[in-house]
Amino acid sequence: MTDTPPPRPVPNPDYRVNFFRPRAGYLRQKVRYTWVLLISWAFFTLGFQFLLLLTQDTPEGDGLITETILFGFPLHYWFSGQFLIVWFILLCFFFNLFVDHLTRIHRKNR
Amino acid sequence: MPSDGIKLAPALLLACILALSLLVGLAGRTSKGAYYLVSGPSVGRAGIGAAIASNWMSAASFLGIAGIFYLQGYMAFAYVVGWTGGYVLLLILMAAQIRRFGKYTAPEFVEARYDSPVARCLAATITILITLIYCTAQYKGIALVFSWIFGLDYTPSLFLGTAVGIGYLVLSGTLGASRNQQFQYGTLILCFIIPLMVIAKKLGYFWVLPQLGYGRALCELGRAPHHLSLAPWTSGTAYEWIALCFTLMVGTAGLPHVLSRFYTVPNLRDARWSVVWGIFFIGLLYWSAPVYATLARIAQGSTEMPTDPEAARALADLIVLKAGEWAGLPSWLIGIIAVGAVIAAFSTVTGLLITGAGAFSYDIYYRLINPAADEKKRMYVAKGATLVLALLVVVLAVNPPWLIAQITAVAFALAGNTLFPVFLLGIWWDRTSKQGAVAGMLTGLAVTFGALLLGPLVPGLGTALPATSSALIGAPLVILVMIGVSLATPPPPEEIRRFLAEEVHAP
Repeated sequence: MTDTPPPRPVPNPDYRVNFFRPRAGYLRQKVRYTWVLLISWAFFTLGFQFLLLLTQDTPEGDGLITETILFGFPLHYWFSGQFLIVWFILLCFFFNLFVDHLTRIHRKNR
Repeated sequence: MPSDGIKLAPALLLACILALSLLVGLAGRTSKGAYYLVSGPSVGRAGIGAAIASNWMSAASFLGIAGIFYLQGYMAFAYVVGWTGGYVLLLILMAAQIRRFGKYTAPEFVEARYDSPVARCLAATITILITLIYCTAQYKGIALVFSWIFGLDYTPSLFLGTAVGIGYLVLSGTLGASRNQQFQYGTLILCFIIPLMVIAKKLGYFWVLPQLGYGRALCELGRAPHHLSLAPWTSGTAYEWIALCFTLMVGTAGLPHVLSRFYTVPNLRDARWSVVWGIFFIGLLYWSAPVYATLARIAQGSTEMPTDPEAARALADLIVLKAGEWAGLPSWLIGIIAVGAVIAAFSTVTGLLITGAGAFSYDIYYRLINPAADEKKRMYVAKGATLVLALLVVVLAVNPPWLIAQITAVAFALAGNTLFPVFLLGIWWDRTSKQGAVAGMLTGLAVTFGALLLGPLVPGLGTALPATSSALIGAPLVILVMIGVSLATPPPPEEIRRFLAEEVHAP
């Protein structure tokens, strides 16, 4: 693994569990990947709603996005009602692939 | 309320399907213990995924989402997205770690992590409250469908539905029938999708995969002047959408009866992968529910004048059945949808009541009131608690002012404001202390019930903190309170921190 040990000594390095400062090695890699997934989860789910707000022409939210038709649907209906569920399935799929990979490497090292 | 007499075909169908699932349960009981919710390792990951989905599907999924979509259009997607995206949070942040704790219920986890009877008791109380609120929504669904099948008013239907539900629970309990979740999922999804295909065909839309083909119907609705507006914020602001969606997501990750699903799978890797299938199977229902509402609007427009808002609201929670009626489906085919809704609600109620009664008999009665109670006595208390909870729910469900999905959302707000932060910090920050957890759960209770009870009274509060969506502000607030109190109090015992680092977060 390319991760170097932490440069300065920390108290109780063995037990420290902190999502924002994870231990080097397995946990740090896993947390890094969790961050990527959390951001893509939030970006697609909530970010799209902000995009709707940004592009709206009326207070009801009509605008560029709602007038676009994709696969027969107004774009916002297609995105929130159909695509997001597919996106969630993909996120879980990639998370599992990654954790499988990480577990294989670290179990071998132990 | 409809009072046009009993509908014979749906009533017979209901009896047949209940009997059939009892038989399937009896056939499957021999090899497995009563506590295994999943039928053994042979079902594979897709089978476990189906079990996750069947455990999840309730009257809120079956009736509620279509009802909200019928009334509020785009706002309903906050439910769809919230109730699927929550599983992503659950999987990547908590599922594996909670499983490694080896604790089967929320109060047990809280006790193991925080080593505090007070925190455990609070978690048990919250579990019971969630059960009560969640079941109220299910009972409303049961009562509405029973009133449709048997042509009774709402309140008699509520009593009839409760009696049938408890009778079924007792019967399957005495016979020792296990619940075959794969069979149940299959029944539910067929009950939902087959009538939908027929409705789509009758109305002249793409019927092979109506979930992909209802865009044309939607666009037609958008052009008709008196119908549903397709603009995103017509029935609620962007803030309300995001707050609701976030609340349902964190609530999903904190719901006690969803979490327990991860312990019944023999190995962790299968448990993780089954979530992918689980979301897909849940997605099948959530892709379809808006189609019902859209086609109901279309069929309604061609048969009668659009109803006024008050009448539409009264119809909303039964809109999946109304869609069938307005499209001219035969009574037995609509009956299939009704039966699916009743089965979904029954199984959810059963699971929840058992969880709630367990929290009372074990975590409160045995651990606090009478530690000398033996197994038999605890069993007795658990059965009593099930009955008391069931009756309490009947009282709550006599006149619920809200729609099914909205009542359910309050239960999610409670879970998201209390159990979610307690799980999240408990797993990801070893410094979280028992005082922090207790303070957090109390704050979460205050926020949830403050929003619920004071929202209509205090000006501005209902806008900032809607009762169905209080976790967007509530959950971060509770997390901050927990961090503050934890830093001000002594750290948890060394062995808990070591266990967390070396076992729970091990590769």
